[in-house]
Amino acid sequence: MKNDRVRDFGEYVPAPDDDLIVCRCEEITKGEIRKAVRDGLFNVHEVRRFIRCGMGLCQGKTCARLVKAIIARELGAPVASLSDATGRAPMRPMEMGVLANETGL
Amino acid sequence: MKRYDLIVVGAGPAGLSAAAEAASLGLGVALFDENARPGGQLFKQIHKFFGSREHKAKMRGIAIGAELLAEARGLGVEVFLDSPVAGLYENRELLVRRGDGVRHYKADAIVVATGASENMLAFEGWTLPGVMGAGAAQTMMNLNRVRPGNRALMLGSGNVGLVVGFQLLQAGCGLAAVVDAAPHIGGYGVHAAKLARTGVPFFPSHTVLRAEGTDRVTGAVIGRVDTDWNVVPGSEKSFAVDTICVAVGLSPSAGLLKMAGCRMRAEGPGEVPERDDDGETSLGGVFVAGDVSGIEEASAAMIEGRLSGLAAAAKLGFVGGEALENRREGLRSALGSLRDGMFTPKNRGKIPASTSEGLPVSESLLTNGYLGDSEAGRYPGVKSAPGVHPVLECAQNIPCNPCRDACPKGCIRVEGKIIALPEFVPGSGCSGCGMCVASCSGQAIFLVNEDIGDGKAAVTIPYEFLPLPAKGQTGTALGRSGAPLCPAEVAEVRLIGAYDHTALMTFTVPREFAMTARFWKSEVAR
Amino acid sequence: MKNTSDVLIVGSGAIGNAAAYYLAKRGLSVTVLEKSACVGNGGSSRNGGGVRQSGRHPAELPLAMYGVKNLWPSLSDELGVDVEYCQGGNLRLGKTEAHLKILTGLTESAVVGGLDMRMIGRDEARGICPYLSDEVIGAGWCPTDGHANPLLATLGFYRAARRLGARFVSGAEVTGLHKIRGRVAAAKTADGETHGFGRAVVAAGYDSRKILSSLGLDVPISPLLLETLVTEEAPRMFRQMLGTAMADFYGHQSSHGSFVFGGTHGLEPYFAYGEPRLSSFGASSTCRGIVGYFPVLRDLKIVRTWAGWIDDCADHIPVIGNPEETPGLTVACGLSGHGFGISPVVGLLLAQLAAGEETSLDVSKFRYDRFRAKV
Repeated sequence: MKNDRVRDFGEYVPAPDDDLIVCRCEEITKGEIRKAVRDGLFNVHEVRRFIRCGMGLCQGKTCARLVKAIIARELGAPVASLSDATGRAPMRPMEMGVLANETGL
Repeated sequence: MKRYDLIVVGAGPAGLSAAAEAASLGLGVALFDENARPGGQLFKQIHKFFGSREHKAKMRGIAIGAELLAEARGLGVEVFLDSPVAGLYENRELLVRRGDGVRHYKADAIVVATGASENMLAFEGWTLPGVMGAGAAQTMMNLNRVRPGNRALMLGSGNVGLVVGFQLLQAGCGLAAVVDAAPHIGGYGVHAAKLARTGVPFFPSHTVLRAEGTDRVTGAVIGRVDTDWNVVPGSEKSFAVDTICVAVGLSPSAGLLKMAGCRMRAEGPGEVPERDDDGETSLGGVFVAGDVSGIEEASAAMIEGRLSGLAAAAKLGFVGGEALENRREGLRSALGSLRDGMFTPKNRGKIPASTSEGLPVSESLLTNGYLGDSEAGRYPGVKSAPGVHPVLECAQNIPCNPCRDACPKGCIRVEGKIIALPEFVPGSGCSGCGMCVASCSGQAIFLVNEDIGDGKAAVTIPYEFLPLPAKGQTGTALGRSGAPLCPAEVAEVRLIGAYDHTALMTFTVPREFAMTARFWKSEVAR
Repeated sequence: MKNTSDVLIVGSGAIGNAAAYYLAKRGLSVTVLEKSACVGNGGSSRNGGGVRQSGRHPAELPLAMYGVKNLWPSLSDELGVDVEYCQGGNLRLGKTEAHLKILTGLTESAVVGGLDMRMIGRDEARGICPYLSDEVIGAGWCPTDGHANPLLATLGFYRAARRLGARFVSGAEVTGLHKIRGRVAAAKTADGETHGFGRAVVAAGYDSRKILSSLGLDVPISPLLLETLVTEEAPRMFRQMLGTAMADFYGHQSSHGSFVFGGTHGLEPYFAYGEPRLSSFGASSTCRGIVGYFPVLRDLKIVRTWAGWIDDCADHIPVIGNPEETPGLTVACGLSGHGFGISPVVGLLLAQLAAGEETSLDVSKFRYDRFRAKV
């Protein structure tokens, strides 16, 4: 979907719950997510890459929807207009030694 | 590389069903699950299921899990436990953790039945120990035998919140309240009523404001929301709880599909895989079944699993023609009957004005969690009659009819669709056997003898708490709302194999409480 | 006309964004068109984060050295984003005499190019990084190499360019460039829009090939699959960028604490170009490489693996410049898998080329028409 990123969000209005931790693994707050969106990071993927929310041990299994809702609200867009983060192997954290020990090829 | 006709990922209700269906048609099937025990959520489901006989209604989830597993193994499905699937790659290749290494497998068809994970809410204090998903609390209780806390608050009144709320009570954890931001209770009225009659209050149109505590939860504060979802000032209420359970829905665990490039579509706030009627995704030969393809009850997941297993078998040439068509038609029809009624996915968030019988829906059941005493008589299962007779407090159209099949005397009629409200047929000779009471997954059937002499009535309730009371024990009868009504003495406690762990407890009350006393507590009312 | 700017940049990767930043800083109006819905969604977000000078082709070495000397140290301040630049040195490890021979060759070539690099023995290597396997017998050591966070650098350039007024449009796939009266002056996008410009900069990775072909230019680049992984967070262990003589893996520990590693398994050219999909064996191969050199990392958990595309040029060095036969066009493509470390300097060079300035470095070795048949 085409997205012309010229956009004026106006002045940042702090919210009372800006310091609420949303991503527990990486300890990212709601305010950090809001500010990232205003910095031009307009979707789940860019916000993740920029501030690491959903990039920790659980890979966003807990916070993905929360983050998406905050981004959508900040953009003034419907949640359904944002795609979720991509699924990536391994589905569960896996030791390097285990992944290195490969059979069945 | 080791190759199977079909590999199923996830040994929950959908995966086990898919594996069994395909194996029964001659496919060589492997089933991988990351857990030490198969069954997915089924082995946490200690409650009886809804539906019809073909949906394994009135069986407890754990028993269904055991039965499905035995069926799959009996048909030659190779079940690999402790085997997390790391990834789904091109050409239907899976990388699976086995012990201290990983192993590659391929299959000509794959069914992904990886279920769902719990949604969370972020509120002040939500990172404190003591805040947990309702499903997590259920795992603690029913798999690990650990009581999550001493007193809990449940956020969310869908079936998960209601069912886990009741299981918290069964585990000996108090339940301070059930809270939901929506103006109506989201789950089955019968599940809500089980809680309400024990005295658990419901707070629809309320949201959690904060968890209190410094290093663990010591309390919770909720507030009422207006129609714009703003908190009404001054509406705050505090609860002293050590546990806050969050039951605000599930999200499909579609990671494997997404990494493989499966096309997804937005559904509500999340995404689900695009799929056809048999569960085949945009990745040819890769099917989905169960919650990963969209959140529904386990009963639906089992049929979806069968359908995807059947479709995989058809795709690989193991079944065709009339055999395929008949089986598929049967399964689709069974699925269709489950997807009917007031709580189907397509009716989510909508409240009908009346039941399919044309009776007004109970507003009290939707907001307070119990049928109002003046409303109960409106429904066809609630009628006065001489002698012992069932009272079926079933007021919502949900797909369920085991009560009809349970009664050997024909006292109960469910006409037409299985979502029809059960009707008590007076004069058909109720023997008081109690099979209907034990069969009701919603614990909404009672036996009442409105006059046993001495100005007393006998009320028999389904009772799933331990310890079981003893005959002669005195206590208090509670009404549908959980309000204490009157002293009540235990007359009889019956527990036979056919009741499947639901005890039938009969207490006596003054006659005027025959049609209102619906629970019993040993402690004397304050 | 709405869609007109001084410079149109095709591709919002690290290089396109850096060029946008340096051009916007010069006061030029800039439009960046990105095919993906995400900025920096190609190799820029998918690489191992090396900021190396060592191991570079002699032609590329001056670019890398210029960046390390002049751009990387101040980049975080310049962009207002911590790009996690860490000048911890680069250890290129060897276990056999054959490895040491490769490493010695690389070292000699770097020294000729003026880089501070030398061969070190087992003990010195272990002094620099105490976690090495006992099997390591020597290493090439470049103390001024390092690493940075490619996600932050790519998005940091984007953010800074945007703040300076650069217009970014994502989800806008350029299908072709067009000449008007002999000068490249218009771009068409898949949705039928036309963009006019004074000059176009094509920095679109492998897709550059298709875009340039619309002008009758052919650059011999092919797509190679790039597979990368990241571990859970670990206590701070070492600051170096790591690699091996055989390139079985490369990577570093990020300032976050997680390790980011890439690797090569030899089958990279044999994957169909499109949305990049991991091979089923790449991560295992990289892990074998890593635990073979760093047994201590055996139990560290991988949380994520991903794939991207390398735009591999026939001679493995980039094409950078203003092709004379297509006036109005500036090109940077074929970065061949080592583009991230030189992305700031290539961005700067593109800005200079596009703005008609003299370039800070000679780019004549990167001409688009240098490729010849071998016989």
